[in-house]
Amino acid sequence: MHELSLVLSLLEIVEEQASRAPFEKADSLLLSFGRLSCIDPQALQFAFSVQARGTRAEGAVLRFDIRPVTIYCLHCEKELSPPFFTGACPACGGVEVVLTGGTEEMKLIEMEVDGC
Amino acid sequence: MKVRVVQNVLDANDRIANTNRALFDEKNLYVMNLMSSPGAGKTTLVERTILALRERFRISVIEGDIQDTCDADRVAALGIPAVQINTGGGCHLDGNMVREALADLNLDETDLLIVENVGNLVCPAEFRIGENDKVMILSVPEGADKPAKYPLMFQEASVLLINKIDLLPYVDFDLAKARRDAQAIHPGIEIFEVSCKTGQGLEGWIAWLTRRMETRRTG
Ligand SMILES: Nc1nc2c(ncn2[C@@H]2O[C@H](COP(=O)(O)OP(=O)(O)OP(=O)(O)O)[C@@H](O)[C@H]2O)c(=O)[nH]1
Ligand SMILES: [Mg+2]
Ligand SMILES: [Zn+2]
Repeated sequence: MHELSLVLSLLEIVEEQASRAPFEKADSLLLSFGRLSCIDPQALQFAFSVQARGTRAEGAVLRFDIRPVTIYCLHCEKELSPPFFTGACPACGGVEVVLTGGTEEMKLIEMEVDGC
Repeated sequence: MKVRVVQNVLDANDRIANTNRALFDEKNLYVMNLMSSPGAGKTTLVERTILALRERFRISVIEGDIQDTCDADRVAALGIPAVQINTGGGCHLDGNMVREALADLNLDETDLLIVENVGNLVCPAEFRIGENDKVMILSVPEGADKPAKYPLMFQEASVLLINKIDLLPYVDFDLAKARRDAQAIHPGIEIFEVSCKTGQGLEGWIAWLTRRMETRRTG
């Protein structure tokens, strides 16, 4: 249930942004995170709709840019993007792989705002 | 209007963690953040580590738990200062909770601060507390697929202890796979196979920890 903590921090960032360059309302927020970061978009959306009530982000749409899992296979000598990380290469089945992407922590990339 | 932000959502926590870290550095103490699933053996490792190092270092402990439990009492029974943080349902410790707990410890009289995080394989990994190292325990009954399923934890940890190896004869646990996957996720991660019950393998852990403390304290 880290989604709640993430949402609270996110709302703080929105307020911080508004205090720097004032706006009335945030209409949408674009978030990015890795597929393996165990963040559940539905839980996030739910926590957000509850916590954002009464703030300038109330009703804002959350959009997600979920970064794919990527591995580098030492045998195939290339990067591949399997749906999950299993410790093996989806192409050759080899286990000499390195996880190169998919655990990125959550970032707020951009906001669509109104009433500047 | 579009506003470009590109900011880590947990920035605020990172800032508090950095403040904690500055304080730890100033007081010249080494802090480890101990993470695992519930029941993997964190408190047992804390007890073992205290018994092994209490003659050489002054140790304090912060125990994070969802509700009041006896972990802090187990540590206090060894005569070690221990503070309990109850997260009241929260699944991890964050920089601020640790900051508040510090008020109840005498940092001037501490060389090693052990923070036992809430038992959870997901959330604690993201929330820095100002630690020098994250220490991760994976216990044999949990299964060897855990690194692959919860990679962030293993990526963040400096060291992995595979605990409860006394149970290997009774449990299907593919030690080679656990090691290999942990290395695939975090090349170079230090791995020790231990039993906090029998004490097997713990000397490697203690030597590693002592080395980390010494490098840290001599700069
Ligand atoms: N067989 C065996 N049991 C162990 C070992 N280490 C710990 N245990 C047992 O595992 C159980 C849980 O150990 P704890 O140290 O309380 O685990 P924990 O990670 O602190 O648990 P939480 O704080 O509740 O998340 C206890 O019954 C321990 O005695 C081990 O190496 N081998
Ligand atoms: Mg415990
Ligand atoms: Zn391959």
